Amino acid sequence: MNPHRVRRIVPVIPTASMADIAFLLIIFFMLTTTFSPEKTTVELPQSEIRTEVPKDAAIIAITEEGIIRFTDGERPSFALGTAAELGPLTREVVRWLPDKEFVIKADRMVRYELIDAVLEQLRLNGAKRVGLLTERKTGGGV
Amino acid sequence: MKLRDRHRSAAEIPTSSMADIAFLLIIFFMLTAVFATTEGLRFDLPKDDPTQLDVQPEEAIHIKILGEGQYVVDKTPMTLEEMGGYVRMKMQQNPDKPVIIQTEGNVLYFVMIDVFDLLKYLQVENISIPTRTEIERWKAFGIFE
Repeated sequence: MNPHRVRRIVPVIPTASMADIAFLLIIFFMLTTTFSPEKTTVELPQSEIRTEVPKDAAIIAITEEGIIRFTDGERPSFALGTAAELGPLTREVVRWLPDKEFVIKADRMVRYELIDAVLEQLRLNGAKRVGLLTERKTGGGV
Repeated sequence: MKLRDRHRSAAEIPTSSMADIAFLLIIFFMLTAVFATTEGLRFDLPKDDPTQLDVQPEEAIHIKILGEGQYVVDKTPMTLEEMGGYVRMKMQQNPDKPVIIQTEGNVLYFVMIDVFDLLKYLQVENISIPTRTEIERWKAFGIFE
């Protein structure tokens, strides 16, 4: 007897849809990404209590070396020579948007006198609300 | 003459490497992404009006930060824990009691944030962070040391 030859099918993992899945993921990440005009890397202080600050807030970044950078929340940030230069910039922002929030993104090791100088300029030039960016406190309570 | 059937393979675009490319792109984007922090401690700045005081310093709890672990609360040196207990006790008596944080210039920023965070944690609503010129003005009024 001559039995029919069984035709063997080579086992294959279907990978055709992998590219679709991967591209869908890329599109998802690209659409959900928001670009921040302030990209200075600083080590923020930590706090237990944190509230959301507005996404369009003006940002004042202060590095550990004491370099101050400013952005009105729309244009890319730029470095300032001294805290006093913040005055006219704040006045300009407040003139058009009186309720604009100002956010201080300062390194945890900055001396407080620099923060004080920035707060002084903000207060004198009509800023109403200020946020101090912090990281979530890890380990141990208050 | 009978010709042999030629085995025709269907024309296809090789897409097997597409997934590799796409996943490489995902990994690249994930590694280069910087996560923006959008949370922190918020407070209101007082208006610049030299004739008015927003906080009556004699009624407020006055916290002076001299350095890490060096705090003077209402003229009494305290630790952070003692300060927490003191403020909690005062808040129970008067929940609207203002708290003034005065920080020395040479103190590191995170030390001040620790105190601010503690006050927020104790649900102190009325926190005042006077700047150097405000403190000078309060001194001129004779109600602040």
